[in-house]
Amino acid sequence: MRNLNFGYGISRPRAIDMDNNDLRKSNAIIHEMPELQACIGCGSCTASCTAGGITDFNFRKLHTAVRRGEYRGAYEELNKCMLCGKCRLVCPRGINTRAMVMLIKRKLGDY
Amino acid sequence: MTFFAPFTIPFIVGGLFMFAVVALKWSLWIVRLPRVDRRLIRHNFFTRETLIAVWEVVRESLLHVRIFRVNPLLGFMHMSLAFGWFLLIVVGWIETTAYLGWQWVPLQGHVFFKYFMPINGIVGDIHLFEHLMDALLLMVLTGVALAWYKRVRSKAMGMRRTTKHVLFDRVALSALWFIFPARLVAESLTAAVHGGGGFLTGSIGHWLQTLLGADVLHSLYEPAWWFYSTALGVFFVAMPFSRYMHIFTEIPLIFLRRWKLHPTAERKSYDRFEVEACSRCGICIDPCQLQADLGMNDTQSVYFLRDRRYNMLSLKVANNCLMCGRCEQQCPVGINLATLRLNSRAKRRNIPHEGRFKYLRGVDHSSGSGRVGYFAGCMTSLTPAVQRSMQHIFSVAGEDVWYADRDGGVCCGRPLMLSGETDAARKMVAYNTDLFRRHEIDVLVTSCPICLKVFRESYRLDGIEVLHHSEYIDRLIASGRIKVQTETRTFAYHDPCELGRGCGIYDEPRRVIGAVGRLLEPRHTRRDALCCGASLANTVIDDGQQQRIAQRMTDELVATNCDTIVTACPLCNKAISRAAGQPTEDIAEIVAKNIIV
Repeated sequence: MRNLNFGYGISRPRAIDMDNNDLRKSNAIIHEMPELQACIGCGSCTASCTAGGITDFNFRKLHTAVRRGEYRGAYEELNKCMLCGKCRLVCPRGINTRAMVMLIKRKLGDY
Repeated sequence: MTFFAPFTIPFIVGGLFMFAVVALKWSLWIVRLPRVDRRLIRHNFFTRETLIAVWEVVRESLLHVRIFRVNPLLGFMHMSLAFGWFLLIVVGWIETTAYLGWQWVPLQGHVFFKYFMPINGIVGDIHLFEHLMDALLLMVLTGVALAWYKRVRSKAMGMRRTTKHVLFDRVALSALWFIFPARLVAESLTAAVHGGGGFLTGSIGHWLQTLLGADVLHSLYEPAWWFYSTALGVFFVAMPFSRYMHIFTEIPLIFLRRWKLHPTAERKSYDRFEVEACSRCGICIDPCQLQADLGMNDTQSVYFLRDRRYNMLSLKVANNCLMCGRCEQQCPVGINLATLRLNSRAKRRNIPHEGRFKYLRGVDHSSGSGRVGYFAGCMTSLTPAVQRSMQHIFSVAGEDVWYADRDGGVCCGRPLMLSGETDAARKMVAYNTDLFRRHEIDVLVTSCPICLKVFRESYRLDGIEVLHHSEYIDRLIASGRIKVQTETRTFAYHDPCELGRGCGIYDEPRRVIGAVGRLLEPRHTRRDALCCGASLANTVIDDGQQQRIAQRMTDELVATNCDTIVTACPLCNKAISRAAGQPTEDIAEIVAKNIIV
């Protein structure tokens, strides 16, 4: 996609290049907790988020990006989470979101 | 008399090895204690606590009183082994002294006295000691027999499941089982060859005499003593590395505990005393709902402590615990199981950068003003009926209330602590403490038992009284500030873990429910109450497993045939509502519905 940037834009292109993204971490995360794939992206986790009430922390956005192999800034962003666990309680797919936060942090800790 | 025979070598070598290892372990653990702990020891050494500790050692290390409370037969098994063996040593020593007067006799002289005595032709009025020693041996043998029986039918001793043991434990256990039967055989053979013996060894000796020829008896005599000595030696060598280390660890632990040492959020040397004091009796297995409801057999406290002791603790085992506290209140050694598990998690925490939670600076979503502060808690924002009910109760009572988090607040920090992120949690603690101080409240009411526990244990809120809303409502009713009408419904009350076992609040919610309607109790109640399974402490079990735990626990509440299930924790409320086919209400809701305006 970078090739198609004519140099006039002032925003970075929003396209995601799955060929260039390194999916190893993402695959390892999915391998350890496959239930993340059950996410329907409803955003209940983000709507109920305690940290989200104070900052722009958005778990739905984050884990979606991480699954696509976009890890930059994810670890720092996830450290905004207070682990209060409301997201797990409201998740209609029963995803263990709290463990997911901890897992992604563990996997991306050295990224 | 030299009191030496070749067969005593395994015993002497094993015994010396054991004492050397135990002494080394003790000194290392003591030397590595943090300075605060050592100061506590110095400070409390010459106090009444030391005497109380001595008494506790007798009660718990010898008599095992707490195990009697779990099951009398199980208690008798442990007592007959520990106290019986102890008496064998003490009475054996008195016996030697009675025969030989005040002279130094090496240890093997006491232990194998029967071997040395007849050969050296000591005669006298022997019957009292012979019978007494036989009676004690019989007592220990009863314990061994019960231990065998427990292998076959543990249910007879109130245990549905027993511990799976590691290799060292199996070696030590087998040696221990052989020690006393071997002693019986050796002493009986001695009685058969040389005469003497009490009602047990003497009679068996007599019977052996009639059964076997003199040369057979003589050829069996030495091997029997060799076998007894070897069994002792093997046990002694395996002992410091097996679960039997608890024998020599529980004693210093009891003293240290009486001197006010305790485990903390950070691992320290004191933890070794607690970890190795676990005898792996397995009493913690049956209360565990992960076992009973989900069939998990590797994560209970006994296995957690074992894995931690042998440095093979996995993150999964450390994290797979509801922290409901049901095992901890049954533990006969009184080990701080929850704290140890938490500091194991803390050791593996991710260490975030210093700027973490910088966004908290300047945040204040609170509203209203008053001397009473209300902290609903994160979870309560998912049960808005509780929040509305509390507001109604406050307004009827005419209380001026400052609402800390009506429009979204900051977490209390306990969820982070439960995941071992103690340093991150400290930022929440600092933030909330500052918030409460700035708004100058005298009383802090919270609707969430998870917050309540952390406010009471980890916050320094001197001058601010922290109450759970059930306590607060109970006071309002008792002082006549609010009046409630009695309705015809019956209520079954579920004790939330953090409120009951966690904070010791059992009676206040029951009094409040009693004021509104008739209270019913499920089968497991109060200290014995079941966990709803939704606990934040467990990050391993999935949604379906949580539901199974909730279902089993809710079934007991439904079985009371109540009209409504009542609880006092938003998290339990959510879990029960999902599992029950009937409405679940919070204490605040039933009061708000029946309050007389």
